[in-house]
Amino acid sequence: MRRPFQTALLVLSGVGLLRVSLFTDLYLRYVKEGMRPLLIASGALLILLGVADAVSYARRREGDDHADHDDGGHGHGHSGAPRAAWLLFLPALSLLFYAPPALGAYTASRQPPQAVTHEDDFDPLPAASPLPMTLSDFTRRVQQDRTQVIEGRTVLLTGFVTSDKGGDSWYLNRLLISCCAADAQSVKVRIHRTPAPPANTWVAVTGTWHPGGTLGTSSAPVALDARAVEKTAKPANAYTDALPLPLTR
Amino acid sequence: MQGTEERAGEAEAADAGGAVGDDAAPVWLRFWPLLLLGAAIVPGVVLYFGGRWLETPVMQAWRTVCLAVTVQALPFLLLGTALSGAINAFVPARVFSRVLPRRPVLAVPVAGVAGVVLPGCECASVPVANRLIGRGVTPAAAFAFLLSAPAINPVVLTATAVAFPGNPAMVAARLLASLGTAWVMGWLWLWLGRAEWLKPAVRHGGHQAGGSRWREFRAGFQHDFLHAGGFLVVGAMAAATFNVTVPRSVLDAFSGSLWLSVLFLAVLAIVLAVCSEADAFVAASLSGFSPVAQLTFMVVGPVVDMKLIALQAGTFGRAFAIRFSAATAVVAVLFSALIGGALL
Repeated sequence: MRRPFQTALLVLSGVGLLRVSLFTDLYLRYVKEGMRPLLIASGALLILLGVADAVSYARRREGDDHADHDDGGHGHGHSGAPRAAWLLFLPALSLLFYAPPALGAYTASRQPPQAVTHEDDFDPLPAASPLPMTLSDFTRRVQQDRTQVIEGRTVLLTGFVTSDKGGDSWYLNRLLISCCAADAQSVKVRIHRTPAPPANTWVAVTGTWHPGGTLGTSSAPVALDARAVEKTAKPANAYTDALPLPLTR
Repeated sequence: MQGTEERAGEAEAADAGGAVGDDAAPVWLRFWPLLLLGAAIVPGVVLYFGGRWLETPVMQAWRTVCLAVTVQALPFLLLGTALSGAINAFVPARVFSRVLPRRPVLAVPVAGVAGVVLPGCECASVPVANRLIGRGVTPAAAFAFLLSAPAINPVVLTATAVAFPGNPAMVAARLLASLGTAWVMGWLWLWLGRAEWLKPAVRHGGHQAGGSRWREFRAGFQHDFLHAGGFLVVGAMAAATFNVTVPRSVLDAFSGSLWLSVLFLAVLAIVLAVCSEADAFVAASLSGFSPVAQLTFMVVGPVVDMKLIALQAGTFGRAFAIRFSAATAVVAVLFSALIGGALL
């Protein structure tokens, strides 16, 4: 790889990183929130490196024009970057012009539901109705809370849709990441009694627990009898199991 | 556009000439309108369908995962290559040889532990080890350093701790298993290694008299980053392909049996060739596997993988790279199973 291309690659990578981390929050499609300062620093460093490279390249050419410096051949061992470096143009240009969307229905539909963390002590449920809950919290209330307070309560869940082949029910999903999008795991709730919206749509579902098995044990289905399904905006950070915003009516 | 028109004009002239004189005009010239049409349509069609293909759910997920692995690893890669560039430029190699004991048997463990000071990925450690041999360090010690440096340095261990939150045993197990592999391989070389497997050392890199240290640092940093970054993208692509195409049931089939899953992830580490600064995140994403198998992935990856074999073959010679990599893979798997079984 020749020097001008190396310079361009460094600057492009830097600008691409700054674009997704500093000027927009596109980085949330790929990594966790805490990575932001590191990404901004890396972007700035890459641009700096590119500029320094351009300056030294220009100086060396000038020097070669005027006279043969003693260190004219110095540094040649480093000037040839390997051919593999060309591949770095792909992520750089992709970050700049063609940022892929956050993972969604395709990934979620290929994964079994994630085992939620275990909890022994449950606080009493707030009195609000419908009660906004996270999908993990709903799962825990249904399968672990022996006081069975979730029975008959109207809850409000949000997530995106995946269909269940050959069934009249569908899934409400959230994807959670522990580090980057490569380790995404899904938490899902089966929704009954309403036709499935198109896959990947973000919806808010109001409904009550779908009875079956023994509530408070793992035999209880993590499912909801939906009363209302409304489209909702996709959150900026799609990889969290955040509480739904209360519906404005 | 200009070029196409010119070529069209020439073709016309040639065609006319052919009609007047003999019929020796090349066949393709007679079909120039078709060629023009093709030149106009083919790129458009390729772009359109290529774009459509990239927008399918599978390819979108592939691009997202690929980019995610790259973006996540880039800051760690930059940190590692900056520090290795600094050591390359500011720390003379004789410091390393002065620190090492004279007896090779003792030099091996010291060199293995000294790997802590080179926070780079495996691509950075090969040239350093080569230079150490050039400065008179016994090859066994240099190889222990080569194997331990990419696996036990602070950057990699920090990345491991970040990737496995709340699981310090994983970091400890990685440290012990990698260090053990490096020591055993160093001693193995003392016992069985033959100097003629090594090709005459080629000296390159390092600070040279006359140049400014700052320029040397910048050049080394840039070279290492571009080199490792390119291979990082290869690893991210392989990881994304694996993530998107391999059905969960296959993973479950392998993850069911402990030994099969350990061997499977060892092979995967060799094939994927993810940089050691990023491999903990990939290992964490293979959540269907047992911790011992994940540990194997992280212990084998930094000491044997496709790009490392290529780098070693280029630096030390093919005869060395094949024997050394095969032995290292076996030792690394055994150590992961032993340490992982005890700690995880």
